[in-house]
Amino acid sequence: MSEIALKGLTKRFDDGTLAVEDLNLEIGDGELMILVGPSGCGKTTALRMIAGLEEISDGELWIDGELVNDFPPKHRDIAMVFQNYALYPHMTVRQNMSFGLEQAKVDKDEIARKVKETAEILDLTEHLDRRPGQLSGGQRQRVAMGRAIVRDPKAFLMDEPLSNLDAKLRTQMRTELARIQNQLGTTTVYVTHDQIEAMTLGDRVAVMRRGILQQVASPRELYEQPANLFVAGFMGSPAINLLTAQVESDTLRSPLGDVALDRRLRDALEHGDRTDRVIIGLRPEHLQDAALTERMPDGTVTFSGEVSVLEAMGAEYYAHFDLGDQTSVSEAIDPSHDAEGDPVGRRHGNDLVARLPINSDVHEGNSIKLWFEPGHLHVFDPESGRRLTEAKA
Amino acid sequence: MSATSATLGRTPPRRRSLLRQAMPGIAWWAICGLVALMFLFPLAMVVLTVLKTSSEAAATPPHYLPQHLSGQNFRALSNADIWKYVINSAGVALGTVVGTVIVATLAGYGFARYRFPGRTLLFLGSLMTLMVPFQALLTPLYSVLVFLHLANSLIGLTLVYITFQLPFSLFVMRNAFAEIPQEIEDAAAMDGASTLATLRRVMVPVAKPAVVTVALFAFFSAWNEFLAALIFLSDQSRYTLPVFLTTLVTGKLGAINWGLLEAGVVVTIVPCLVIFLLLQRYYVRGLMSGAVR
Ligand SMILES: Nc1ncnc2c1ncn2[C@@H]1O[C@H](COP(=O)(O)OP(=O)(O)O)[C@@H](O)[C@H]1O
Ligand SMILES: [Mg+2]
Repeated sequence: MSEIALKGLTKRFDDGTLAVEDLNLEIGDGELMILVGPSGCGKTTALRMIAGLEEISDGELWIDGELVNDFPPKHRDIAMVFQNYALYPHMTVRQNMSFGLEQAKVDKDEIARKVKETAEILDLTEHLDRRPGQLSGGQRQRVAMGRAIVRDPKAFLMDEPLSNLDAKLRTQMRTELARIQNQLGTTTVYVTHDQIEAMTLGDRVAVMRRGILQQVASPRELYEQPANLFVAGFMGSPAINLLTAQVESDTLRSPLGDVALDRRLRDALEHGDRTDRVIIGLRPEHLQDAALTERMPDGTVTFSGEVSVLEAMGAEYYAHFDLGDQTSVSEAIDPSHDAEGDPVGRRHGNDLVARLPINSDVHEGNSIKLWFEPGHLHVFDPESGRRLTEAKA
Repeated sequence: MSATSATLGRTPPRRRSLLRQAMPGIAWWAICGLVALMFLFPLAMVVLTVLKTSSEAAATPPHYLPQHLSGQNFRALSNADIWKYVINSAGVALGTVVGTVIVATLAGYGFARYRFPGRTLLFLGSLMTLMVPFQALLTPLYSVLVFLHLANSLIGLTLVYITFQLPFSLFVMRNAFAEIPQEIEDAAAMDGASTLATLRRVMVPVAKPAVVTVALFAFFSAWNEFLAALIFLSDQSRYTLPVFLTTLVTGKLGAINWGLLEAGVVVTIVPCLVIFLLLQRYYVRGLMSGAVR
């Protein structure tokens, strides 16, 4: 068990790609740290630098108070679970799990004991003498975990370990994995591109984008107080609504209606670089159906619109509204521009979504009246993407 | 090369060829049977000839089936000290296999995994030697062997065979290693294995079909090779089997003792057949299944 500290960690590949830039991160003893970001943002590269599989171009890597930049993997005492599992195909499950211990010259009986123990934790006992080719995807995934666990290393590195499982198994394994990690108390860095996985699994979540760390915080804090537009857009599904708003003396003119500037919003605007235009963010669940509300709180803003698309999700509706062209968010800060292959954050800038309860009387093509509290509004700087508002009081 | 694609592991779903779909079953079997017959007929003739007595073998018109089974030819071979030449050939063939496999494995791994200046050029260069006919190099190679005091020696001959086997073997091994996902090697590194341990316990076993292919080809070509052996070896005691067989052919007055010759051929073929049948399951099947995903 141990702490891992990344200080200004940087990876520049031979072809000039800057995959990870000045990454600062401290992972506490026994902590489960999630590294999340769209694909290609440098998560795997960061993990491989910690593992010792990729040379560190710049910066320092400390494990247990020791500078390990120049240590080969075998001297770092870290185990890694690869995205594609990377099991040894010619070895049985037992041999796969024993291999690391054999390399460490552990006593034979000891190896047998540890393998048996680990197999029990992972429910692999009856498969010990099979080869990877004879196992299902879920079982292979557990063997990959077993190979890491059996060594009892200082830390686990996991690179999207669940991404090759089907949705149901993935949810199941996610819970299982959190339980095992908690039980073993081994420091873990867990990489995923799936924000839901990140939100449900981690003590703390580090959000990366284009090689740069955006924010490190608890899942709740990331959701409620995103550091910038990217984090706001990446975390949460359906994604946060981002709209352009004009500032006019004491009101914010937004496509959702005029918002009177209160103390919080005024403070926020003072922190920004521009005073005429900002980007506002509003979570889909903060838009409420007026027809279901008996008495709206003071100072609420109402908005009427025609439902363009209605998605019934079972327990709730996702109601989409088409706001026309007025709301485009600049490409440089729009999170949807690098969330490739990820439905989250892939919405158009002119699409507004509201999460409405299933008893709402909504129909595609019909108009509906919604309201929200200005306290839920996030205000972002349109140039840097930085969040300007403080958390809701 | 079938073996390298076999290492891919995922067998494509079996699909009947268009040709086969267009034909009724009977016709298909008839054609296959005919082709098989064409290949097997000469072999059958060899075996049948061996079992005849020498007078019967030389009879005109020839009979296909021997009238009296006879072990005479094999006895004659034994008397001609064939075991000495079998041992010579086996030594050369095994030496070629071991040498080729070791060099091709190490070099193939290097070409597949290490980046160094001139890597592509060097690899292509070694492949290019495949285009130079073997025979054109015999004379210069002979000079080299003389210079190394290895002419007329089985070791020298083995080295020559290894040299000629290498381009193809290197190609096979490099591709086999290149197809193994990097992560498997990374996993071994994380497990604390040294480069050599990774190679020995992970990479080579996973690339086994390719290793078997390389070994088989090295064995067959060294075992059957005639021209280089004829040129490089001058002492009869060092002859390999194919060269020795020619000494059997020219009997009295240039008459050819077919029975005896074919008996030698059988002795030559049997080990090839046995080895091929023993190893073909590796040769055909890949081992990668289940490694990734
Ligand atoms: N060996 C490499 N050489 C050059 N560029 C690379 C190499 N490996 C990864 N990259 C680049 O570095 C960036 C980060 O990649 P990666 O760490 O794999 O992202 P992620 O795991 O977040 O999807 C990508 O732009 C990728 O193309
Ligand atoms: Mg990755």
